[in-house]
Amino acid sequence: MNRPEPAPSGAFPAAPPAEKPMPIIELAGVSKRFEPPRGAPAVDALRDVTLSIDQGSFVVLLGPSGCGKTTLLRLVDGLLPPDSGSVRVFGRAPVPGPGMGFVFQSFRLVPWSTVRGNVEFALAGTGLDRAARRERAEHYLELVGLARFASAYPGELSGGMKQRAALARALAPEPEILLMDEPFASIDAQTRELMQAELMRLWALRRSVVLFVTHSVDEAILLADRVVLMGPRPGRILEAIEVELPRPRWRYDVRAEPRFIELRAYLWNRIRELVLSDENSDFFGRSRDF
Amino acid sequence: MTIAIERLLILAGILAVWWAAAFHYGPTVVPDPPATLAAGRRLAADGTLLAALGDSALVYLSGYLAAAAAAVPLGLAMGAAGRLGKAFEPYVYALAATPRVAFVPLVIVLLGLGVEAKVFIVFLGAIMPILVNTYAGVLAADDELVEMARSTGAGKLRIFLHIVLPGALPFVVAGLRLGATIGLINTVVAELYTAVQGLGGLLALYGNTFRMAEYFAIVITLAFAGVAVTEGLRLVEQRFARWRTR
Ligand SMILES: Nc1ncnc2c1ncn2[C@@H]1O[C@H](COP(=O)(O)OP(=O)(O)OP(=O)(O)O)[C@@H](O)[C@H]1O
Ligand SMILES: [Mg+2]
Repeated sequence: MNRPEPAPSGAFPAAPPAEKPMPIIELAGVSKRFEPPRGAPAVDALRDVTLSIDQGSFVVLLGPSGCGKTTLLRLVDGLLPPDSGSVRVFGRAPVPGPGMGFVFQSFRLVPWSTVRGNVEFALAGTGLDRAARRERAEHYLELVGLARFASAYPGELSGGMKQRAALARALAPEPEILLMDEPFASIDAQTRELMQAELMRLWALRRSVVLFVTHSVDEAILLADRVVLMGPRPGRILEAIEVELPRPRWRYDVRAEPRFIELRAYLWNRIRELVLSDENSDFFGRSRDF
Repeated sequence: MTIAIERLLILAGILAVWWAAAFHYGPTVVPDPPATLAAGRRLAADGTLLAALGDSALVYLSGYLAAAAAAVPLGLAMGAAGRLGKAFEPYVYALAATPRVAFVPLVIVLLGLGVEAKVFIVFLGAIMPILVNTYAGVLAADDELVEMARSTGAGKLRIFLHIVLPGALPFVVAGLRLGATIGLINTVVAELYTAVQGLGGLLALYGNTFRMAEYFAIVITLAFAGVAVTEGLRLVEQRFARWRTR
């Protein structure tokens, strides 16, 4: 069904060769501007962003605060319309639903539902019956190590546990596309490594598309097929770097690989330059020696 | 545990002030606590108190429940209606700010002095705080949770039922508590202004005939009624908010 047509009419002038997979997510010349309620100048959250993501690839968005990473995910999920340009998911304007899972930067758990209830909430559109939804929720809670807290309310969980609950909620519908907005940011270092490995393992099994946002250079290189470096004001894509490190990366000490170290140094410098040279950044003009 | 002790101490303080006032003004103006208790016992024994309580409770509950039944759906509808709800806003706030006692003469002209008029005065007093709070509760919906729900593919109705409504519940209950107290006040107002009846009627009767011990007994009965009503609603609120860790 998703087999590319030989010559799609007009939409994509350069029709992809038949053997090349059709892009699942396609952003072309996308801009998004926010008008603050009063006074403050408009913010170009994204300007002229073009990005295309193939089936089964793991793409990490990396960039300093305010460069439009979250906005990009919201556009892809169809939660927000672009001002100009086009956003296509599976060749159509995106519609939010169980086909795409979103892990939000803030956990966004429903406080009056149990952890299990929160996960089941995301399964409403999947067509599963009650028992199957329950079973599915339990399975993913088990996976993130929260089985014992299924009946707890989010208020009783620690920050890291909340994040894992939110992760289970996004994974449970087994979406074709996973949008993850700094999903491991508030998890402790040990659990974070476990969750990263777990995510890679899951992804190796199901090969969904993952669009993953992080501030951590290490995390980006560890996980990504492609790291997309973004810059702020206006939010835009600066460059995309393929990470060819062999998989599965949890099987060996990937951080010791020369390519990892090289990429890490390069990305660190790029981001530091970005922050220090951005006159609107909170750190503009600081000494470059620190 | 300590709060109970503190409350008992405060009660002792109130009684002491009362006693001092009784001593200072004499029993014809301020009866002392034992005299009030005795009067209360007498009223309870001959059935006066119970009959009046029944009359007042009927007026109060009818008016209050009607107000709640009307105000909650109206407030929800106003909050859900978006721009239309916003358009109604200033008029609703204006009505909420008008002392409802201002409508008493109009109500009497329209409905007479009977039970209907009393119930309607209670209804008028209780409806606005419930409506305004319910409306505010819908507006206070957590945008981030709404967006989360949208991302799961939830439609408007599902979002309203699962996110907006439970989020508004604490506001609704706060409105119900506010409406309950104002409704109680309006019950007494109605009984004073229209056909003299119920606890308000006894208040007028004993006040006008300087039977101060009986008068005080009625005042205290009203205070107890107020506490009972608000505490009851607080318990209801707690039942609905099991998820809140306190
Ligand atoms: N709803 C909104 N209203 C107004 N401005 C917004 C809104 N959402 C985002 N912005 C602005 O758009 C810019 C990009 O925001 P976005 O949240 O996409 O950044 P981000 O890259 O996710 O940042 P962070 O790493 O801090 O999460 C920011 O300057 C932000 O202030
Ligand atoms: Mg963000």
